[in-house]
Amino acid sequence: MTMNCEDYRQTIAEDPNFDDGDGHLSECSECRTYRDEMRVLDVKIGRALALEVPDLVLPDLPDLENVVSLSDRRRLSTPTWFAMAATVLLAVFFGVRFIGGDGVVYDSLADEVLAHVSHSPMALRVTDVAVSDDHLHEVVPANIAEMDESTGLITFAESCPINGHNVPHLVIQGRYGPITIILMPDEKISSAIALSDENQQGVILPVGDGSIAIVAGPDEALDEVQKKVLKSVVWST
Amino acid sequence: MQGSNTEERRRQRFDQKVGVFHQDMYRYAAWLCRDKAIAEDVVQEALLRAWKSLDALRDDAAAKPWLLTIVRRENARYFERKRIETVDIDNLTASQSALLSEQPNDDLSDMREAIFLLEEDYREPLVLQVLMGFSTNEIAEQMGLKQGAVLTRLHRARTKLKGTMQAMAAD
Repeated sequence: MTMNCEDYRQTIAEDPNFDDGDGHLSECSECRTYRDEMRVLDVKIGRALALEVPDLVLPDLPDLENVVSLSDRRRLSTPTWFAMAATVLLAVFFGVRFIGGDGVVYDSLADEVLAHVSHSPMALRVTDVAVSDDHLHEVVPANIAEMDESTGLITFAESCPINGHNVPHLVIQGRYGPITIILMPDEKISSAIALSDENQQGVILPVGDGSIAIVAGPDEALDEVQKKVLKSVVWST
Repeated sequence: MQGSNTEERRRQRFDQKVGVFHQDMYRYAAWLCRDKAIAEDVVQEALLRAWKSLDALRDDAAAKPWLLTIVRRENARYFERKRIETVDIDNLTASQSALLSEQPNDDLSDMREAIFLLEEDYREPLVLQVLMGFSTNEIAEQMGLKQGAVLTRLHRARTKLKGTMQAMAAD
């Protein structure tokens, strides 16, 4: 079916490289002119957008072997098999080490949660598109927790490894940006643990026999978010 | 010794997969924030974050959208911290003016000013499509929009720019 002028011009303005409208173009010289104008315009747009790039000074990349920071504490110098074995032994004997999903060793649950959030930039998009209910139920099955709609707009939901358990990693849209919520039904803690690094603030809250981590940007009103999350999430176990 | 080799491989991977995109990162940041100095800061932060998070980049072919996502987040963080809201074309800072003044050709200078004045909602998808070569699907993914919304914004962006350029030519 041949496009009409309105459809064709709409399509060309969306993408001037569109070249599937020959049927219409063969009988409409005005749209041919419009297409040519749009293509000339797009060349100018491209040239105007191509700013000169200054000589950027690359940041001093820290040697991650020696970095001791919240989000990047890791052992790279030990053979992987040996590190894993040693980690398991330490965990068994002392119960104070946390093993990330990628085999990295963390000194605390707080460290691991912050590192996990920092390493998941794709999760923290500003968006108004919610995940589907089906997907949310896959990530947060009814036998783990029940969530009501007051949690907020959930824009990311995946099952992620935290301290050896696959747990629901959710993102809601807050007032100042995305907020991460990690439901950890098996991580029992005795009191709330504050989280912070240079770009994030948060808390791990004890909830029944588990805990819930909330991580947000520095300007978010964490108290309000905590109340909302605690009200909307109920463990099923 | 093995640690040094691991670090070396990591740096090589960073140079090959991340370093090559620094121009795209800068231009994207510059058109998001419309300020050369802030764009440089944002790119620095984004590169540092990319270095720390390099292990999260599972597919090297996805390096470009991954990096631009980090730039987008760093830009949002910058403005959350600084609380800079609007730009008045008559009261630009030196760094903002610098973005407009580097183009010696009058016609392109007008176009750059027209793009500068375009609302961010329209400017960003245009940058991603024209400069970064993203498909409308990829733009939708990057911006967290539906594809239909992206198409509408691209259409409006070009229509506005066309009108602005015609008005400038008539003056």
